[in-house]
Amino acid sequence: MEKKKERTVFIILFLISIIFSNIGILGMENSSMMPNYFIALITAFTLNKNSFLNIYRLVIIGLIVDIFVGELLGQYGLIFICIYLVHFIIQKILVIKSTQQIFSLGFFLIISSFLVLWTTSVSHGLFISFNLIFIQSILTFIAYLIFNIFIKKFTKN
Amino acid sequence: MERNLSKDSLKLFNRDSFPLVSFVILLILCLVMMGVDYRQQILKKIKSKFSIVLSPITYLINLPADIFIDSKDVFVTKTLLKEKIEILQQRNYILSIVAQENELLKSENKILRNTLGIKKYFNLVSVNAEIILPNVRNGYSIITINKGLKNNIQIGSAVINNAGLVGQIINTSKNYSEIMPITSEDYAVPAIMDNNKENVILYGNGNGGLEIPLFPESSSISVNDNFVTSGAGGLYPKGINIGRVVEIKSTTSPRFNSIMITPVSQPTTFTQVTVINIKE
Repeated sequence: MEKKKERTVFIILFLISIIFSNIGILGMENSSMMPNYFIALITAFTLNKNSFLNIYRLVIIGLIVDIFVGELLGQYGLIFICIYLVHFIIQKILVIKSTQQIFSLGFFLIISSFLVLWTTSVSHGLFISFNLIFIQSILTFIAYLIFNIFIKKFTKN
Repeated sequence: MERNLSKDSLKLFNRDSFPLVSFVILLILCLVMMGVDYRQQILKKIKSKFSIVLSPITYLINLPADIFIDSKDVFVTKTLLKEKIEILQQRNYILSIVAQENELLKSENKILRNTLGIKKYFNLVSVNAEIILPNVRNGYSIITINKGLKNNIQIGSAVINNAGLVGQIINTSKNYSEIMPITSEDYAVPAIMDNNKENVILYGNGNGGLEIPLFPESSSISVNDNFVTSGAGGLYPKGINIGRVVEIKSTTSPRFNSIMITPVSQPTTFTQVTVINIKE
């Protein structure tokens, strides 16, 4: 039952992410300055409900994201499994319990995923400005906080 | 007193085993997919197939914003419309005279070409299309138009409007096509200054402008100089307006300057475009 609820929330937020990825932030002239909603969503779900998203599902979701907004097939799959790996390692070596710790970990995961995004893009001839990546990661962190509220509100018992 | 602690709250560290084999396999799979896609452009083909599904979704997503913009236009005052009609009538009158002159020049040109035995190098096949949405796909600007393979639109065709060069077709499906705007980072166009002095290649800077990263310091150029397509490479017809110089910046090399150019047409300032194919 709990898993079904999580899945429903995930699908709804995923659809919202697709919608928002296709429209710029209102009032902002520079269209590239927008958060990466998919990284925010996966980070929020990984930190909240780890059981629902296993490594295979993450790759499949990554491929779907690639079709919708990606530039390179397999790039988002790689980013998502890197989020999974980093989160797993941190959970092994650190005790992450308080809200501040979780948010800090969320920020770290977002920064890590943007580094993977930037590295894979640049190594495949897709230039992304590093400054832009930095701004996008901050915006993505804000999106993560919003998604986090939604997940907590709609999946709690 | 019995302490009612859940299993989860007692679990401080993650004691699950990491699916290492799966991780390595999936990691390699992702890297292989990226490598293959980089060489074979598979994602573009998949997107092209999916665009039948995606384009209507994108259209629906942007529909509220489009309706808002359209409704704003509806409320334009009558006086303003009257003024516009008057200006357009005057312009139409002037243009009809210019058109007559052009017809005369065209026929004169044809006679002269025939006399001199010059071959006609190319003829232009154009398709008018409407912009469905200038949208953003994960940070990249893309313009979607309502004409596709059905209307003989080909990948690589140049797209212009009445102001000048708009971009290039990068993706086509049966009913829709996607345009990469001239200001995109991946965009490059051979250009010439309208006084026929300098042949250059302009690059989109991804930030609403174009630039020439290394322009010889010895060559004369000034702010407000205009660039048009040079026709080199045969992709674009010669003489289409691209933009004008707004800034000349010095670079680390004393021999070169960096030239910033603002395009004559921005994706948000027009609704109609013309796709042109050059037929040899």
